[in-house]
Amino acid sequence: MFSKALFKQSAKANFTKWLFVTIPTCVMLAIVIIVLGNLGINDIRDSLKNVFVQADQESYLKENSVDSYELYLTTLTNYNDVYSFGAFLNILTNNYDEKVTEYEATNGVAPNNEAKQEIIAQVAQDFSDYASFVGKTPEELKALVSQILNFYIKDTSVKGQNLLDAYFLDQVYLGAYNNEIAKEDVTQQEAQDKAEQAKVIAQDAINKYKEDSSESGYVYNRDNYLIIARNYVNTFMYDTIYDMQIEHSKNEQDAKEYAVSVKVISNSAISTYQLWLNEYESDDPDNAITTEQIAQARTYACQSISDQIPEKVAVALEELGNMDIYGLIIGSIFYRIAGLLLPMVFVIMTANGLLAGQVDSGSMAYVLSTPIKRRTVTVTQMVYLLFALFSMFALLTCVSVLAVWIVGGNSFAINYGEILLFNLGAFLTMFAIAGYCFMCSAIFNRTKYSLSIGGGLTIFSLVCTILGLFGSAVVPSAMRISAMNVFNYISLITLFDTVSILNGSLSFLWQFGILFAVGVITFIIGVFRFDKKDLPL
Amino acid sequence: MNEIIRVENLTKDYKNNRGVFDLNFSVKSGEVFGFVGTNGSGKTTTIRHIMGFSKPDKGSCYVKGLNSWQNASEIKKYVEYIPGEIAFPDLPTGTMFLKNQAELLGLKDMAYANELIKKLQLDTSANLKRMSKGMKQKTAIVAGLMADKEILILDEPTTGLDPLMRNVFLEIIENEKKKGKTILMSSQMFDELETTCDRVALIFNGRIIDIAVIDNIKNSKFINYKIEFKSEEDYKHFKKLKYDIIRDQEKYNQVTIKIEKDKVQKLFKALTKYDVKFISEIKNSLEKYFKEKLKKGEDNNV
Repeated sequence: MFSKALFKQSAKANFTKWLFVTIPTCVMLAIVIIVLGNLGINDIRDSLKNVFVQADQESYLKENSVDSYELYLTTLTNYNDVYSFGAFLNILTNNYDEKVTEYEATNGVAPNNEAKQEIIAQVAQDFSDYASFVGKTPEELKALVSQILNFYIKDTSVKGQNLLDAYFLDQVYLGAYNNEIAKEDVTQQEAQDKAEQAKVIAQDAINKYKEDSSESGYVYNRDNYLIIARNYVNTFMYDTIYDMQIEHSKNEQDAKEYAVSVKVISNSAISTYQLWLNEYESDDPDNAITTEQIAQARTYACQSISDQIPEKVAVALEELGNMDIYGLIIGSIFYRIAGLLLPMVFVIMTANGLLAGQVDSGSMAYVLSTPIKRRTVTVTQMVYLLFALFSMFALLTCVSVLAVWIVGGNSFAINYGEILLFNLGAFLTMFAIAGYCFMCSAIFNRTKYSLSIGGGLTIFSLVCTILGLFGSAVVPSAMRISAMNVFNYISLITLFDTVSILNGSLSFLWQFGILFAVGVITFIIGVFRFDKKDLPL
Repeated sequence: MNEIIRVENLTKDYKNNRGVFDLNFSVKSGEVFGFVGTNGSGKTTTIRHIMGFSKPDKGSCYVKGLNSWQNASEIKKYVEYIPGEIAFPDLPTGTMFLKNQAELLGLKDMAYANELIKKLQLDTSANLKRMSKGMKQKTAIVAGLMADKEILILDEPTTGLDPLMRNVFLEIIENEKKKGKTILMSSQMFDELETTCDRVALIFNGRIIDIAVIDNIKNSKFINYKIEFKSEEDYKHFKKLKYDIIRDQEKYNQVTIKIEKDKVQKLFKALTKYDVKFISEIKNSLEKYFKEKLKKGEDNNV
């Protein structure tokens, strides 16, 4: 089944070819990995990515500013509503305290929770008569009183205006927390932080309100508050960012610059928001501003760079930023196209030369005029072809692993496992192609048919892969022409799925299986066909 | 004598009247069998079937009783072959090719190969690709004969050789014959077959027209003479005598007659009465024999 002499003859006849294909391919691969590895080709990609990260940050910052601004304004407005209520609270709590003392005197023990709720309900009932004084309906006042008293019984030492403030802040906290926790992807901790922040802002707003009203007597001036709110948020942003920068050991100058830039962003967002609201108001002064209008104003205010450029361009740029250039160049371009070309030329020429070429020229007569079976000839030639291919890729694998080691091993964009799979995939692709070319070489007696049918389809596959590249997912959508993807369906090389290898999905495995099967089947067909045909020798 | 090569009803139709049709012949042990015919007449096709390279449409070939197609590798133990097409494996020098070929043959003793190289004055160290046609043919001859097996099948082995080397080669074949080998050899040259072969088959359009026994041709009972007379009178008078005239050229007063060997004396006596310009013997050759056969065949067809 195997002839050493014939193997030696084939090895001698094809060694130069092997060398002239293997060495340049290895050099090419080493250059691709090492040079690209050192040039830091991902820098452009990273900066592009940064643009989008910054855009995201900017948009987050703007949202935060607008949120704070809104909160500040709402706090001022709401606090203005309840401020006058503060004077009532001493009466309210005194009333409650009296009723509790009464209860103790009657029953000899302090009231339990149930009894406390009864007392609260009683007080609330009593106070509902005063509803008109505070501009509320009796029911509203009843609810408010019972809420405040419920808050009061947690800490009975806080009374009067302080109780009102504490209650008010608690409401703000709860409101912010509930609002935040309702959003997707927000943890409890995050919601608590946000609510805490809201409380700080509200506290400041209350202080500002009190300060303002003590200076100029109590005057509610909305325009004034708009400016106060904006200034507050700007300053708040500035202070927070400045502290954070200092904390991250930046020098004062840098921290200041960065904080100012943040302040500018925050200010512009708030101005935009308020300007839009004013616009809506002047459009239709009779009706209050709708929720939709507020949302729209927010959207305008919170736009970042990525929102301002056309959507398609934004998607394309973002994809470009996310593109794995190493995977593209090493996987999809080198291992599937550039690196396959020379081995393909070798396989096409050698497979043809091992059988069809020798039959066509007639030199096969010297082999077959010795007591060697045809089966031995085909098996030996097949073994040689596989040996040549295997040694080629063994060398290529060594070179690629070495090159990856040089540019940083596993810290390189492509790790050892992936590079080994690339080599295995390329070898299996070549195995299938070798089988097919060998089959053609075994079937045809004429070099011209063997080469044009065996080599032709192989080169066709390669060309389709090149064309198909422009339709495949490895090319960013801006450069992609999806119609070109049809070429991928008619190329054998498509079964070598470098994208799947890089993704970590396992679909490349069954595709490897198909490539292997194609190789095995075509080799077997070749061997059997050669046994039975007429040879013009 | 037993039959070493036997071809039975061999038919291979390549269409358009090409191929071989219903061939039957056999080569006996120790015999040198020639195969002659024009280009495309089917010589190489026949040899391919005997070598087991092609599968017959009908009929079969046997070498030492083994079916050529079914036992293609088995029969190569006895057969050596010089292909008609000169093409070598892709190896750099003649030496390397012969060494490799010896390895394929499992041949260890290169003494005979060296003897052949010496006889043919071949420089084997030359680059295989740059060899002249003659050198290539010599290399092919050495590669074909070096294993010294008992059956030789040679497809036009003398093409490309200069006349001197052709004689050397025919000498080698003569030697092989003396060793008792069975030889099947095709050629387009009648004379070289005539000198080496015991029997020669004429193949034309894929069919064997005739198989000639060389001894019979050489030792024919008849001799042909061409006679030219000086005067027309003599010419006409001679024609009246009852000789078997096979060619008559009135313009030159020339006749060609066929006469039994033992009657030659009588002829010469008769001729003394005429004024003869010249007389020459026309030799019996294979070429002449086959030409006559072909002519007869064509006449019959018409």
